[in-house]
Amino acid sequence: MPTCCGAIRAMIRFENVTKVYDRKARPALDSITLEIDRGEFAFLVGASGSGKSTFLRLVLKEDRATSGAVYVAGQNVANISSWRVPRLRRGIGVVFQDFRLLPQKNVFANVAFAMQVIGKSRSVIRSTVPEVLKTVGLEGKEHRMPHELSGGEQQRVAIARAVVNRPGILLADEPTGNLDPTTSMGIMGVLDKINQNGTTVVMATHDDDIVNEMRKRVVELRNGVVIRDEAKALYTSMIPVVGQSRRLKDASGLDDLVGPERVSQDGTSSGEAMQ
Amino acid sequence: MRLAFILSEIGSGLRRNLTMVISVILVTFISLTFVGAAGMLQLQINQMKGYWYDKVQVAIFLCSEGSAAAGCASGPVTEEQQKNLEALLRSPAVAQYINEFQFESKEDAYGHFKEQFSNSPIVDSVAPDQLPASFRINMKDPEKYQIISETFASQPGVESVIDQRKILEQLFSVMNGASVVAVVIAAVMIVCAILLIATTIRLSAFSRRRETGIMRLVGASKTVIQLPFILEGVIAALIGAALASGTLWAVSYFFLGDLSKQFQDTPFISPSQTLVLVPALFALGVILAGISSLLTLRRYLRV
Ligand SMILES: Nc1ncnc2c1ncn2[C@@H]1O[C@H](COP(=O)(O)OP(=O)(O)OP(=O)(O)O)[C@@H](O)[C@H]1O
Ligand SMILES: [Mg+2]
Repeated sequence: MPTCCGAIRAMIRFENVTKVYDRKARPALDSITLEIDRGEFAFLVGASGSGKSTFLRLVLKEDRATSGAVYVAGQNVANISSWRVPRLRRGIGVVFQDFRLLPQKNVFANVAFAMQVIGKSRSVIRSTVPEVLKTVGLEGKEHRMPHELSGGEQQRVAIARAVVNRPGILLADEPTGNLDPTTSMGIMGVLDKINQNGTTVVMATHDDDIVNEMRKRVVELRNGVVIRDEAKALYTSMIPVVGQSRRLKDASGLDDLVGPERVSQDGTSSGEAMQ
Repeated sequence: MRLAFILSEIGSGLRRNLTMVISVILVTFISLTFVGAAGMLQLQINQMKGYWYDKVQVAIFLCSEGSAAAGCASGPVTEEQQKNLEALLRSPAVAQYINEFQFESKEDAYGHFKEQFSNSPIVDSVAPDQLPASFRINMKDPEKYQIISETFASQPGVESVIDQRKILEQLFSVMNGASVVAVVIAAVMIVCAILLIATTIRLSAFSRRRETGIMRLVGASKTVIQLPFILEGVIAALIGAALASGTLWAVSYFFLGDLSKQFQDTPFISPSQTLVLVPALFALGVILAGISSLLTLRRYLRV
């Protein structure tokens, strides 16, 4: 436990955390030490396979660190017994690239689902869900089915579901990965708003435009190691490494917009087989 | 709220896997019916054993009014004859083969008879007088029956000496054999039921992996996630148990009812007696659904 006093400042704390999935391969995370404070907004960037999703999984206790300690809200997750893991997860909202909505349920029911399964009363659900839907900009669409929504709207539903139980932390794993740039910016607006309300947000992303626009803290991973941790930063370091513009995907069609941030400093092809 | 939620989850799970659920119901129905059949055979054997079967091996029936046997030509047994017989039973020559013996008076005999044939119409047509008094003998070695028979058959006042076991043993061995067969079939069917329930729950868990994944993420407890699956299996098994119980009751009501009219001198179990098996069948159904779902969920529904 942190030897601090009073309120815990670090919402997420990694101490020399190593995660090895496969003994023959290199570790997915290699002795990471990192703190993310309460109320902070942090981007997790890095090439495919650099360990971003692994980081998020360890926070959720979906996986166990091979060595080192992961603290969430001051508590070492290794000490949380399996029957209390649900309580940990109630304090953490999660959003994914693929939305993960329930196709047979309408917008309201999808969000309400997260409250039903933890036993919230009908009246609380009825008052809370519309409020949250308003926060994410979906008022009036309560009765739409997921297939009647655009991708951006679906992601808003997913975000609403993630935050409806008022978690202290919101983890987002490439939430804009399937969305066009304009829609992505809309989603970022929602996440920013949630962050303004006091929720700590950690977002793994490949989306350089977004990172550059938001100017938040950026933690860059490469091969499971933190190679950069910068406040109010850009997607890539300001020091350009010329001649290596490796882009895995680009849905934006803005390729001709070449700026220094377009040039990845990550020249290695590690992890490219992943995805 | 949570209860309503779990119930609606169960409902949708049962609807989605309807064919599998029906097969689970049928398999548990069949397997529990065989278990119940074995139980009924044992009940029936007990019924036929009556009061004395497990206690004694040989019965010496004494003459009563209207006995047609040769030894009874001089009328019903006198008190003196009865005393002599008892003395003979106590004499060293005979006593060495005997653990103990009991005297069953006409009244005792009538009481035991009424109990054994409680489900049979014959009970009303028999009066205490018509039943003979008897000595009931528990042998040290049942194979020595011959000695007792030779000693007593020709004594005055003795109507007959009967080795009860001989008469019923063969029938019982057939019935015991049948119950073993029923139990073996039941065991195989129970294995089928367990595997089928496991498969059903696995399919159900697979078809609802989206929901359960989301439930995990938003912090639903293990109970809320797993209970609907367990209860699905349990409900199907309970329906199977209910069908099996109904079948057993119908068999005892119609089939044994007919038999008891045909074979009036054989005591049969009554439909209400078979009902003692019902709680056992329900318990067994719940246990096998519970076990198989626990095993399956541990593997396929990680929380
Ligand atoms: N369940 C798993 N079993 C084995 N290896 C895994 C598993 N999950 C991830 N890995 C490996 O761990 C490394 C990090 O993977 P991770 O998913 O964290 O990368 P990522 O940064 O999220 O990549 P992407 O940007 O493509 O989502 C990769 O080399 C990957 O092959
Ligand atoms: Mg990932």
